[in-house]
Amino acid sequence: MTLMRLLRWVLDLLFSPWLFVPLVFPGLITVFLVILFIIWFERKLAAKVQLRYGPLYVLKQLGGAIQLVADLLRYLFAEPIIPENADKLAFVFGPILLFATSYIPSVAIPVSSLYYAFRSDIGLLIALGLLVFGPAMALITGWASNNKFSLIGGLREGYLTMAYEIPLFVSALSMAALYGTMDLIEIVEVQSRGPWGIVLNPLAAFTFLILSFMSTSRFPFEIVEAESEIVMGPFTEYSGILYGLTMGASYVKFYILSLLFSIMFLGGWEPVPSFLAWSPIAPGLILLVKSVGVIMFGVFLRAVYPRYRIDQALRMGWHVILPLSIGSVFLSLGLLIWGVVS
Amino acid sequence: MTERKTPPLIKLVNHLEAIGTGIKYVFTPRMTLRYPEEVMELPEGYRGMIKYTKNLCINCGLCAQICPADAMKMYLEELEKAEEAKQARPKRYPGINYTRCIFCGFCVDICPTGAIEHVGVYDVAFESFEAQIFKPEDFEKGPPEVKFKEPPKRLKPKMDSRRGIIYELAD
Repeated sequence: MTLMRLLRWVLDLLFSPWLFVPLVFPGLITVFLVILFIIWFERKLAAKVQLRYGPLYVLKQLGGAIQLVADLLRYLFAEPIIPENADKLAFVFGPILLFATSYIPSVAIPVSSLYYAFRSDIGLLIALGLLVFGPAMALITGWASNNKFSLIGGLREGYLTMAYEIPLFVSALSMAALYGTMDLIEIVEVQSRGPWGIVLNPLAAFTFLILSFMSTSRFPFEIVEAESEIVMGPFTEYSGILYGLTMGASYVKFYILSLLFSIMFLGGWEPVPSFLAWSPIAPGLILLVKSVGVIMFGVFLRAVYPRYRIDQALRMGWHVILPLSIGSVFLSLGLLIWGVVS
Repeated sequence: MTERKTPPLIKLVNHLEAIGTGIKYVFTPRMTLRYPEEVMELPEGYRGMIKYTKNLCINCGLCAQICPADAMKMYLEELEKAEEAKQARPKRYPGINYTRCIFCGFCVDICPTGAIEHVGVYDVAFESFEAQIFKPEDFEKGPPEVKFKEPPKRLKPKMDSRRGIIYELAD
């Protein structure tokens, strides 16, 4: 009897939202599964566009699907070398904090209208605000490595942060103005009553998508890590599992941003059938599918684009995307004034 | 730096066109072979690894002279062997160093007697650096045999006007 009660207590604990959200979905376990899938998918798709096979021989029946597990094992058993002249504390904690700060915003993301870790009037702002810590950590790793490539990469990250952070917030807040709320759950509820955000304000959706590519160094904005120019940017000196963390961090950040994109523009967990709405499973799956779709489009661009120069990317950020995102605010206000959205 | 002035709308169309091209190639059949399972039939005159026939060699050393990568080297024959053959002095025979060879085939072209020729073998893995240096005795045996776990499918490449390279089963 006590065993049953213990089991029940453990299950209750595990499925209580404040533990389930950070640990299972959209938190840690889903993050790892998504990274596992998306890096394999990225390599496979880039190979397909280039008429090659891509990863194949790790679990050949599934086309090399667990390639990343093999890579992770390799990273785990490789020796993490800490350079003599590096700032050791910052060097070791930089990647760990980079990964952690990329993943932390997942706590602010609701799974369904009844299931969330915490609900706040400014949930959107909290999630975006927590994401801002990431670039600072990249700067720290670039500085701590005591290497010219790392320093240049860190500075590039700094420049790009200036260029993308402001328009990202502006385009997200234009949607907040349109919906009249910054609560992520209410944002989805507003969309369930009318058209989705991408139909209402395509300008904001476009800028938010471009800026999330820019902030997670997807192609064509892979300027921070530019392999052919500055080796691996801020992460040049890293090896072993510390390097694995730096590589995973940008994917985690992209995952969080695409979750936010799905919630703001693609209707979140809508349309969920009403008889499945009570449990977090169906809404969670719908949200996951939408955001993974966004990520799949993002990683597909690797096969299409070369890399922009830093000045081209900055010009695009300041001269094109910032005016467009301000324009999206006026579009939202126009929709409100003309009474398209109540 | 001056940049080409393209109207923004045309830029957007160009971006969409690039993405469309990418999507088109996702659905184009692959051109590569799965190597250890499928092996390409080599065309005639393929410049693979090199085999040497000692009986035809006239010890002229042209192959070592022409070699642009300095992979060919003339080795002096051992004294006892020269005495056995009742020669006035020991001769020199070519050996090859595959760490340097670029498979240009100049040695094959210049050999006046055809003692050096290409063999249709390109996929040999060596266990050590030294194993890739072939003395005249090893050079005469030719490159090591390629062993597959299972007999591979042999395919013949063919140019196709629409799809580029396609492969057919070789008979």
